Amino acid sequence: MGNVIVEMEHISKAFSGVQALDDVRLELHEGEVMALLGENGAGKSTLVKILSGVYTRDAGTVRIFGKEYGNLTPNSAREAGVAIIHQELNMCRDLTVCENMFLGREIKGRIALNNAKMEEEAQHYLDELGVDISPRQVVGTLPVSKQQMIEIAKALSIHAKILIMDEPTSALTSKEIEELFRIVRRLKESGCGIIYISHRLEELEHIADSVTIMRDGKFITTGAYKDFTMDTIIEHMVGREIKERFPRVECELGEKVFEVKNLNAGRLVRDINFSLYKGEIVGFAGLMGAGRTETTRAIFGVDPKSSGEILLEGKPIRINSPLDAIRAGIVLAPEDRKKDGLCTKLTIRQNIALPNLDTIGGKSGVLNRAREDELCERAVKELSIKTPSVERDAATLSGGNQQKVVVGKWLVRDSKVVMFDEPTRGIDVGAKVEIYHLMNELKKNGIAVMFVSSELPEVLGIADRIIVMCDGRITGELDARKTTQNEIMRYATMFENKLGKAGSSTEVNDHG
Amino acid sequence: MDKKKKTGIGKLLEIKGMGSSLTAFAGLIVIYFVFGMIDHKVFSAQNNLNLLRSMSKYLLIGIGQSYVMITGNIDLSIGSVVGMGTMISATLMSHGVPTLPAILVTAVAAVVVGILNGFLVGKFKLPPFIATLGTMFVTRGIAFIVNGNRNTDNVASGIGKEAADRFQKFFYYGKTFGVYNTFWIALITFIIFFFILSKTRSGRHIYAIGSNVDAARLSGVDVVKTTIKAYVVSAICSTIVGLILAAQAGMGNMDAGNMYEMYGVAAGVIGGVSPLGGAGLLLGTFGGAGVWQVLENGLNMIGAQIGLQRIVIGVIVVMAVLLDVVIRNGSRTSGLGKKAG
Repeated sequence: MGNVIVEMEHISKAFSGVQALDDVRLELHEGEVMALLGENGAGKSTLVKILSGVYTRDAGTVRIFGKEYGNLTPNSAREAGVAIIHQELNMCRDLTVCENMFLGREIKGRIALNNAKMEEEAQHYLDELGVDISPRQVVGTLPVSKQQMIEIAKALSIHAKILIMDEPTSALTSKEIEELFRIVRRLKESGCGIIYISHRLEELEHIADSVTIMRDGKFITTGAYKDFTMDTIIEHMVGREIKERFPRVECELGEKVFEVKNLNAGRLVRDINFSLYKGEIVGFAGLMGAGRTETTRAIFGVDPKSSGEILLEGKPIRINSPLDAIRAGIVLAPEDRKKDGLCTKLTIRQNIALPNLDTIGGKSGVLNRAREDELCERAVKELSIKTPSVERDAATLSGGNQQKVVVGKWLVRDSKVVMFDEPTRGIDVGAKVEIYHLMNELKKNGIAVMFVSSELPEVLGIADRIIVMCDGRITGELDARKTTQNEIMRYATMFENKLGKAGSSTEVNDHG
Repeated sequence: MDKKKKTGIGKLLEIKGMGSSLTAFAGLIVIYFVFGMIDHKVFSAQNNLNLLRSMSKYLLIGIGQSYVMITGNIDLSIGSVVGMGTMISATLMSHGVPTLPAILVTAVAAVVVGILNGFLVGKFKLPPFIATLGTMFVTRGIAFIVNGNRNTDNVASGIGKEAADRFQKFFYYGKTFGVYNTFWIALITFIIFFFILSKTRSGRHIYAIGSNVDAARLSGVDVVKTTIKAYVVSAICSTIVGLILAAQAGMGNMDAGNMYEMYGVAAGVIGGVSPLGGAGLLLGTFGGAGVWQVLENGLNMIGAQIGLQRIVIGVIVVMAVLLDVVIRNGSRTSGLGKKAG
């Protein structure tokens, strides 16, 4: 292995009091593909964002090619040779390949832009990668895989020696992945160091030289890939036990309330079948992009379904819009609270009232303010939403309290099925427990509860039954009391055989 | 979280958007007295009556545009719908159609335009600027065509002197309790739409889609229906103004209502209605229309040129929004500062 090109030591970073990184280190060599692994929220992205100058670190040292850098900015990181290939590609879709590659550093002739020179150079780097793209093509017309190649070509054109790839294969087909790996190997031979972030563990054997594992913002271990097995990797990634943080109530299992049959909606919701019973909480586990959010959205009528049947209390129902779902008694507390959950310009009271206006007003549509206040007071009290006044804008609340509003607005009405999508994302432990108590309360009241979560301990601790999804399909159904994180991870990485030769995740016995 | 005993004013100020509404009214009073000091004729009874009457048009337009702005959209067709209303009603009356049916036909035409606007924006997701630009041209075209590309004759020539008199008095020249009817019409319209916006489900939905359309949809709000409602309100208000203009002139003018959509934006914005949606009170729009009218009236009284009037109004509109932006940015940076610290 070549020389050390990146050394990060004792890196710490906190966001509004939450320690995202705590004394983390990382070492990258010339010609090495290093897989940076960890659960969602382990701090991988924060770490690479510090290396690429997006975030400034609170403490620690960064050396690139032996040179120590103080506060990196995106520009100084680029000059040092660091390039990041983003998960969501950052390109102007309406501009050409060449225009994108030279955006912000266009080559000028005497008067106008020197397009010929730029195209020639763009062609040179595209040829170097061996990809068949013309510099004159409009980026938006190219498939995602090709756009990724352009990002890589752009990185080469600015002489990047350290490439960070964040989930590069999540949107690619098997053929495209092979193509990407071919290019990664070529970059490696030319002496680049690559930090490769991926949830798809089965890919690693095709490209990874070394592994660095993080958990809860801490460095856990590092070493050559061949010294690890899939099981030891997963153990390092999830290895913790915190059952006590998850209050569970035991209820008698009741009758079937809700059933989804052969639901299909787009690429990420394929042939979904499951049922919910009274007195239980069902957790949906899986990696990001496994189709869990999409499943809840399809059920709730946000996204169109292509086929499938939904039964509530044994009777088939039609849901074409959220309004249909709410009327039937099915509600969803969505994942992205800023985008889908909260009207930040409205007051807390107005937010809580919004989905309940049908009960607050009579047929006339005139709102009963006393009833609204009462409802709102109840929600604030039950959820202990901390605010000086419900007349404040929802935007003024802290993240945890905002989340409580998003969740709480659904709980003051009588529903039969409640779906939560990542109900505890980005909130502190105390607020999390309050939300768990709420879910338990619903469970005790005979309401069918399902929740999507990417935090395995939470799924194991709160759910009674766990449904695991991978790539738009349900790959497993497990009893939360009997299963382990490792087992869930195995199902969650059970991708369809895109690569011909698969990793250790093929042998699976059906627990359903 | 100390529970302070709130006095009447404190309670009032707790209502969101009340601050900027009251600021608009304060501005209105200040401007009124400043001009009054310069020229005492401003305080005269007749001038006050005129003020209330001419303000009414801006108030009505402002109500419509505010509804649409609170949903996060804009209605550029307002001025043309005013013109269309004037022309359809005056054409019908000057051809002998009695007043009431003429008004009804006009109202139906306006509601159709409102529904169309709402559909284009809410259902087909056209940018509201483009959708209503289209209907703006179309409705102005209709205003031209209904009477064969010329202004109408006097309405009295069709429905007779007596009926024409009644029509003109009802909408413009008559007084009730010593104040011009135009003001009462605007006030009643204001009260109705104020009530709908602040006290009913539809009103709440209008705020919700303007604040976050995705969250509103996921909360069960019918976005298309709500968008249509806002545009229909806008069209109805425009039509009332169209009728007022027809009554004022006693005939239909093809160019009536030109630029009124922008006056509506100005009235709303001065009163604190957010052009980005989700925030603002109709009370503010009332204040905004007042500020505008008092300014125009005062500048007229002291003999300022029309050009100067435009400049002053332009500056006031920008200042009002600038103030809003500065205040909001101020609170945002302090919020971030808290997080970082």
